Amino acid sequence: MLAILKRELKTYFLTPVGYIFMGFFLLISGFFFAFGNLFQGNPSYNSMLGTITFVFMILVPILTMRLLAEETRQKTDQLLLTSPLRVTQIVLGKYLAAVAVFLLTVAVTFVYPIILSFYGSIAIAEIIGGYIGFLLLGASFIAVGLFVSSLTENQVVAAVVTFSMLLFFWIMDGLHQYLPNTTTSGIVFISLLLCGLVLIIHRGAKNLFITVLTGLVSAAGITIGYFVNNFLYDGLILKFIERLSLLKRFEPFISGNLSLGPVVFFLSFITFFIFLTIQMIEKRRWN
Amino acid sequence: MIQVENLTKRYGQHIAVDQLNFTVNQGEILGFLGPNGAGKSTTMNIITGYISATSGSVKINGLDILEQPQAVKQKIGYLPEFPPLYGEMTVKEYLDFVSEIKHVSPNVKQANLDKIVDLVKIADVWNRLIKNLSKGYKQRIGLAQALIGNPEILILDEPTVGLDPKQIIEIRNLIKDLGKEHTIILSSHILPEVSAVCERLIIINNGKIVAGDTPENLSKNLSASSKLSLRVAGPKDQVLKILNNLTGVKEILPQGIKEPNTIDILIEAEKDTDLRRPIFNALSQSNYPILMMRSLDLTLEDIFLHVTTEEEHLEEVS
Repeated sequence: MLAILKRELKTYFLTPVGYIFMGFFLLISGFFFAFGNLFQGNPSYNSMLGTITFVFMILVPILTMRLLAEETRQKTDQLLLTSPLRVTQIVLGKYLAAVAVFLLTVAVTFVYPIILSFYGSIAIAEIIGGYIGFLLLGASFIAVGLFVSSLTENQVVAAVVTFSMLLFFWIMDGLHQYLPNTTTSGIVFISLLLCGLVLIIHRGAKNLFITVLTGLVSAAGITIGYFVNNFLYDGLILKFIERLSLLKRFEPFISGNLSLGPVVFFLSFITFFIFLTIQMIEKRRWN
Repeated sequence: MIQVENLTKRYGQHIAVDQLNFTVNQGEILGFLGPNGAGKSTTMNIITGYISATSGSVKINGLDILEQPQAVKQKIGYLPEFPPLYGEMTVKEYLDFVSEIKHVSPNVKQANLDKIVDLVKIADVWNRLIKNLSKGYKQRIGLAQALIGNPEILILDEPTVGLDPKQIIEIRNLIKDLGKEHTIILSSHILPEVSAVCERLIIINNGKIVAGDTPENLSKNLSASSKLSLRVAGPKDQVLKILNNLTGVKEILPQGIKEPNTIDILIEAEKDTDLRRPIFNALSQSNYPILMMRSLDLTLEDIFLHVTTEEEHLEEVS
């Protein structure tokens, strides 16, 4: 794992990718720090951290697009997968390398609060909390990017799809008011979700009987659920989106309410996407 | 050492490898021969654990690649069809990286690398970026990568592709030398290559083994009935009549007239019969001079075409 991590880190700085990421990130954060905090005489550093999270959407795809896509395209995955390394070690090594570049970049921004401290007192604990949230959010997005990179061998496709996925996570909360919250919409939504699940099972098991059985069980489950509790499906789409929302869990860090729940959520999110990536690579070897 | 049993790989409806069975003994150099797309690379990818088989098993020293992948992969050095190189690294950086992922202990790493660099002759490009190197050097670095960690088994997929004739000879000799210490599976679609290097050949077509033996036995078995090509000065009907009366003739095929007043004939003899003397005696008695007599032994090339080409297609060619 360490060998992969070292090689990936080196590659980031042998190719322009690492410099583009760092340069662009520092440019944007410096810009917002200068105009938001310095020129305004505003000591609230965390609001700046909250504002610049939008750069993740543009920068994370750049950081992660190459990770696995390029290995597949260059066929260097043959070297890695036939070496005594486990897939988990390969994927973790790559993920940690991307996170390390991100950490390194964010570390540079530590000078901003130090500059602020020259002009007055700053809330150190609050800023540390803000940074923890900021790093967790970034690391979660990097996990999404890593996963997308395992789906294709084309870096551009990986970057565009990662961007779209991050954009979706971004605007998800804003969709609230436009989404229907009727019972019917909830039923349609859960039916679609279960249809997707049945399809996945069908592709995996390749057995019509199992597929039909799971389909029927799901349909029965939805119906029973409705009769047991008539309001079960009201506003289901909203609840679902709220559960998934990354930004909602990022807000407490910015406002200084550090609690364990969101930390666990981000860590599970990261673990889930790393797990998906490993499964994706294993699956490709079986097909 | 390597046991392959009922190996099958399907891609949807397409069967790339079909019920393959063979074993490779310790210290043997096995040649894997077949036209492009026959399933050679797929088989090698399965043996090395890059992809998995649909059914069947591969055992290395009795260990199954699926059950103990780490232990098995440690024993195998693999040069795939396209050498897996990172263009943005120098040769030194790349081979250091490979040493690390193959768990070569730092104490022996340098000695190991020195030996390999010497063997495959890449000392002069040691500090250059891989992407700037020629195809020949890239192929050698691919080979160097496979040798790292001194694995017992080497699997080389078309190791001489893209090399110039001098380099091809060098690499062949190198593989022969390596065969003294390693068990090697080598694939190629070029016959002279495998017949020069390998002790045993497996010819594979459409995912199936169509022949397997030593190069000598293969040509002996298939050339049991020998063919002669004749050019005789004389009338066609008379000459054919004389030849038809000889014993031991399996088939006579007139080939038409290539020189005025002569006839070209292809004669196939029965198994283990030498027809040359009877033909000479019979024709000289009737005073029909033999202008040319040439025996058509089956070369490996013929065997290869014979076992990999459909019958009707062969007839079209001839």
